[in-house]
Amino acid sequence: MIMEIKKMDWVQEKEKWQPVIGLEIHVQLNTQSKMFSSESYHFGDEPNTHIGVVSTGQPGSLPTINRKAVEQTVLFGCAVQAKVSLMSHFDRKSYFYPDTPKNYQVTQFNCPLLREGHISCELNDGQTKHFKIHHAHLEEDSGVLKHFTHFSGVDYNRSGVPILEIVSEACLHSAQEAVAYAMAIKAIVEYLDISRGNMEEGCLRMDTNISVRRKETKELRNKIEIKNMTSFSYMETAITSEIERQIQFYSLHPEEEIESGTYRFEQGTKELVLMRTKEQAEDYRYFPEPDLPPIILTEKYIDSIRRLLPELPRDRHRRYLLELHLPRQATILLVNEKKLSDYFEEGLKECSQPRALANWLTVEFPGRLKELGKKIWSSGIPCKQIAELVNLIEQGRITGKIAKSIADEMVKEPGVPPEVLIQRNSLYQPVHDTAQVEQIIDRVLEKNPTSIADYLSGKKKAFSFLVGEVMKHSSGKAPPNLVNELLLKKIHNRTDFK
Amino acid sequence: MNEKELEKLSQLAHISLTKGERDALTIGIKKILTYVKQLQEVDTQGVTPCFTVLQHLSNVMREDIQEPPLSTELFLSNVPSSMGKLVRVPPVLNS
Amino acid sequence: MHDLSGILLRQLFIKNELSATEICNFFLHRIEQYEPALGSFLSIFSKRALYKAEELDAKRAQNKPLGKLAAIPIAIKDNIHVLGERTSCGSKFLSNYRALFDATVTRLIEEEDGVILGKTNLDEFAMGSSTEKSAFQLTKNPWDLSCSPGGSSGGSAAAVAARLCPISLGSDTGGSIRQPAAFCGIVGFKPSYGRVSRYGLVSFASSLDQIGPLTTTVADAALMMEVIGQHCKYDSTCLSFPLNNPLNQLKTPFKEKITLGIPKSFLKNLEREIGQNFQYAVESCEKLGYSIIEVDLDILNYSIAVYHILSTAEASTNLARFDGIRFGNRSLQAKTLIEVLDLSREEGFGFEVKQRILLGTYLLSSGYQEAHYRQAQKMRQLIIESFKKVFEKCQMIITPTAPSAAFELGYIQDSLEMSLQDIYTVPASLAGLPAISIPSGFSSKGLPLALHITARQFHDNELLQLAYHIEKSQPFIQKIPPQFDDNGD
Repeated sequence: MIMEIKKMDWVQEKEKWQPVIGLEIHVQLNTQSKMFSSESYHFGDEPNTHIGVVSTGQPGSLPTINRKAVEQTVLFGCAVQAKVSLMSHFDRKSYFYPDTPKNYQVTQFNCPLLREGHISCELNDGQTKHFKIHHAHLEEDSGVLKHFTHFSGVDYNRSGVPILEIVSEACLHSAQEAVAYAMAIKAIVEYLDISRGNMEEGCLRMDTNISVRRKETKELRNKIEIKNMTSFSYMETAITSEIERQIQFYSLHPEEEIESGTYRFEQGTKELVLMRTKEQAEDYRYFPEPDLPPIILTEKYIDSIRRLLPELPRDRHRRYLLELHLPRQATILLVNEKKLSDYFEEGLKECSQPRALANWLTVEFPGRLKELGKKIWSSGIPCKQIAELVNLIEQGRITGKIAKSIADEMVKEPGVPPEVLIQRNSLYQPVHDTAQVEQIIDRVLEKNPTSIADYLSGKKKAFSFLVGEVMKHSSGKAPPNLVNELLLKKIHNRTDFK
Repeated sequence: MNEKELEKLSQLAHISLTKGERDALTIGIKKILTYVKQLQEVDTQGVTPCFTVLQHLSNVMREDIQEPPLSTELFLSNVPSSMGKLVRVPPVLNS
Repeated sequence: MHDLSGILLRQLFIKNELSATEICNFFLHRIEQYEPALGSFLSIFSKRALYKAEELDAKRAQNKPLGKLAAIPIAIKDNIHVLGERTSCGSKFLSNYRALFDATVTRLIEEEDGVILGKTNLDEFAMGSSTEKSAFQLTKNPWDLSCSPGGSSGGSAAAVAARLCPISLGSDTGGSIRQPAAFCGIVGFKPSYGRVSRYGLVSFASSLDQIGPLTTTVADAALMMEVIGQHCKYDSTCLSFPLNNPLNQLKTPFKEKITLGIPKSFLKNLEREIGQNFQYAVESCEKLGYSIIEVDLDILNYSIAVYHILSTAEASTNLARFDGIRFGNRSLQAKTLIEVLDLSREEGFGFEVKQRILLGTYLLSSGYQEAHYRQAQKMRQLIIESFKKVFEKCQMIITPTAPSAAFELGYIQDSLEMSLQDIYTVPASLAGLPAISIPSGFSSKGLPLALHITARQFHDNELLQLAYHIEKSQPFIQKIPPQFDDNGD
C-alpha cells in the first residue's frame, strides 16, 4: 500500500492527520486478599489453587468488598488530584466468557470512585506534558484462559483480584505520548506501593482506542480498540502501526469510514486477534449490583488518606534534576523505575557523587547485567558497594578504567565489595611507589619531546596524551592525581633546565 | 416482541430454543410485556429509583485478611470436564 | 408425636422423655410412609440425620449444653446449601451439584443442634407459585392431593402440613413462603429483607430473596427466627445486629395500642369465600381489641408488574453463571464453547425459567432499561413511601394471603395468570417488610384459607407477637389434614 503513496507525499499526508488515542490501564492492586472474597492470589502457582466459592461463581455465594482496595483507590486519587466520589457503588456488567465465572463482572459504571485527575510526564524530547484522566474505578479481574491444541483450560486463580482501572481522556496524540502516560501511571502506582508485581506477570495491562482525524477538525472518527497489552514497547509499536494503517486507509478511501473493531493482544503468541466488530458489540446491560451496598466517603476520611501520600515520581524527578543535578536522561530512567531509584537512594547515603553513581546505575551496570538477564536491584550487588566504587575513583585510588574491570568482577561475584576485589588483584592496586611512577614519567618524557613542546605552546591535548602514555606504561595503576602532579612538575623542571 | 427479537435475546442470554419453545415464548413474553406496560401510565418524575430497601446501609466492607481457599479437589468435584487442575472447555477459537 | 410442635419435641427431649433417635426415626418413618403420595422431599438424609440424633443423645447423656433446636427435625428447601449434599434447585441443570459450603442458616441450625432431615421440592430456581415447575416431581397438597401446595416452597409447606417434620425452611421472593403456607394451612414467615443471611441460598432476585420458616405454630417460627436471624459476614445485605429474643417477646402484651390497616379498595373483587373468610378474620381481630382502619394502598395494584420487571432482570444475571463450564450438567451434544453454553442451558432449564431469563435480559438491554427497569425501580420507591405513609396511622396491614384457596394441579397454565397469585404477598417483598401468613379458616371444599399480616420494616418481633395473639384465639390453628393425621406412633 505504501507503494501507492509516494514517500514524500506520505510524510506530508501524515502531517495532515492527528491521532486521537485513549488509554485504559488495568492495575492489579497488591491486597492480601481478593476484591470480593478472602482468598489469596499469587502469580504462577498451580491452577485453581487460589480460589473460593465467590471467585468461581458458585451458586449461593455473595461478594464482600475489600476495604484495603478502596483505600488504595482513594490514595491513588489523591496522588493524581482526582475528585473522590463521596457516593459510589458497584454495577453488574453482563457478558459470557469462560474466564468470567458469574458471566457478569462486578465493576463500577455509573458511579466510579474517582473522577478526573491528571498526570504530568516528561517526553523524550524534554517537553513536559499534562494529560487528563477521565475517571478511575474498581472492579474484579477475570480468570485466565489457556489455549491448547484440542481444548482450552480455565484457571480461576486470578479471578476476583482487585483491579483499579484508570481511563484517560482521549487526549493522547502519539504513540510516544501514550507510552509516557502509561509509564507515568506505572511509576505512580509503584511509588504508592499499591501495584501488585511486574508487567510480565500481568499486573498492569493496557487497552487502547485509536482513531485519527484531520488536524483542523474536531469530530472523532470510528475507533479501533486493542486490548490486553502488557508491554510498553509492544504498545508503542501497535499504536504506531495502527495510526499509519488508518491514515493510509483514509488517504486512499477519503469517502469511507473505518469499521470499528476490537482486537485482543495474545500474550503467548504476541498476535492481534479480532474479538468483535462493531455489529457484534456487546450490550453489557449494566445495572446496580444488588448484593453490595454503596460506598459513602467523607472529606475527613479522604484527608486522612491523603496524608499517607509518599514522595511521588514527579517530586522525585524534581529533586533529582534540581537538587542532585542529575542529567535528564538518567533522571527519567531512575524515576520511572521505582526499584531502581530506591536502590539508588540506598547508594546515595554513602556517596558524594550522585551524577557518577547515577551513571553507573543507568549505563555501566545494566549493560553488564543485561546478558545475564538480571536487574541491578536484584543482582545481589548492594548499591553501597557501587557507591564505594565511585568513592574510590573520586579519591583517586583507582582509575576509571580499573573501576570498569572491578565492575565486571562485581557482576561475576555479586556481594563482594570493591575493596576486597582490589586486595585480591595486584593489577588493581595503585602504584604508591612514587619512585616507580617518576621513572615511568621520565621515560615517557624522553620519548615524546614533541608533545612536551606542544603542551608548552598551549595545546592541552598534548598533556592528556602524555598522561595516557604514563597510564599505559603503568598498566593503568598509577594514581591519576599523582601522575598529573608529577608530570607537570617534571615538565616544568625540564623547561627550567633548558 | 417478534421472532427476530427473540432470536437476538436467545443469543444474548445464550439459551438455544426449539421451534415450539420459540413460539410459546414469543407469545408468553409479549403477554407479560403488555401487562407491565401499565407502569408507563404512572408519573414518576422526580422520584429517585430505589436501589435497595436497606436505605440506611452503606460501607459494608471486609478487612483485607486472607482466609483459606476452597480446596481444588472440592471445586473440581462438580466440574463436568477437567484436565489436571484446569477446567476444560472446547478450544476457544481465535478468529 | 406427629402433632407436636418443634418446641414441644425439644422439651420432651431435654426432659429425657424422648430420645433424639426416637424422634428422628419416627419422622423418617412417616416420611417413608407418606412421601410416595405427597412428593415433598427431593432428598432424604436418613444416615446423616440419625448420626446427628445419636450425637445429641450422647451429648444429653453427658449433660452437655443442648442447643435451641435440639432434636427438632427440620427440612430445608432445595435451593439452600447443605455442605456435601445435593442442591438441585428443582432443576435438571443442577441434578448432580453438590454444595461446596453450608449456607449460613444451615450452619446456624446445626450449631443449635437441629436435625436436618432432607431437602424439599420447589418450583425450578424458586420461579413459580405452585411447585409444578419442579423438574423432578409434583408435590401434592396434603389437604387435597389433586391440588397444588402452592409455591415455590411447596415441598417445605407440604412436608410441614403433613407433619413429616414440624419445621421447614423456605425462601420467599414474591410470596414463596407465605402463599404455600396459606395453601397448606400452616404458618409461613418472611422476615424483613436483610434479617436473615442469604449466603448459601441460590439467588433468584437478590434484592427480594429472603429465607424464612414454615411451621405449624407461630412460636416455632419465632424460635427459628431467633436461630437464623443473625448477622453474617459473608452477606453484605445482612443486618449487623441479631434479632432480639423473638420468643420472649411473643407472650408479652403490646406496649402501645395496635391499629391494623385494611387497604379496602386494593382488596376489591375478592372471591366470595375469600372475602367472607377475611371479614371473619377482621372481626376476630376487633374482638381481640385491635383497632381497624381503612388505608389507601391502591398503588399496590402495580406490584405484580413492578415485581415482574425487577425480579426477572436480577434473575437473568443471577442465572447467567449456569453455563455448564464449572458445574451443572454440560450438554453431551456440545462440541464448541458456544454450544456448551447454549445447549447446556437449553437442556438444563425448564420453560418458565427460560421465559424469565429472556424477559429479564430484554428488560435490561440498552434502550429498554430506561423505559422499563428504571421505571420499575421508581415505582418500587413509591410503594415503599406509600407503606411508610400508611404506617404513620397503623402498625400493621392485613389482607388475605392469596386470592383463592389451593387450585388444582394443572389448572393454571399461563405464567402471567400464575404470577397473579402473588398479588397480596408481593408488596411486602418489594418494600422489604416482614410479613406472615397464618391459617384463618377453610373454604367450602375444606381447603385452608389464610390471613396475611405485614409489619413495619425491622419490626419482625412485633409481627410475630401479633400473629401469636391472633393464633391463640383461633380454633382451627394446627388442624392436621385428615389423611396424614394417623395415630400410628
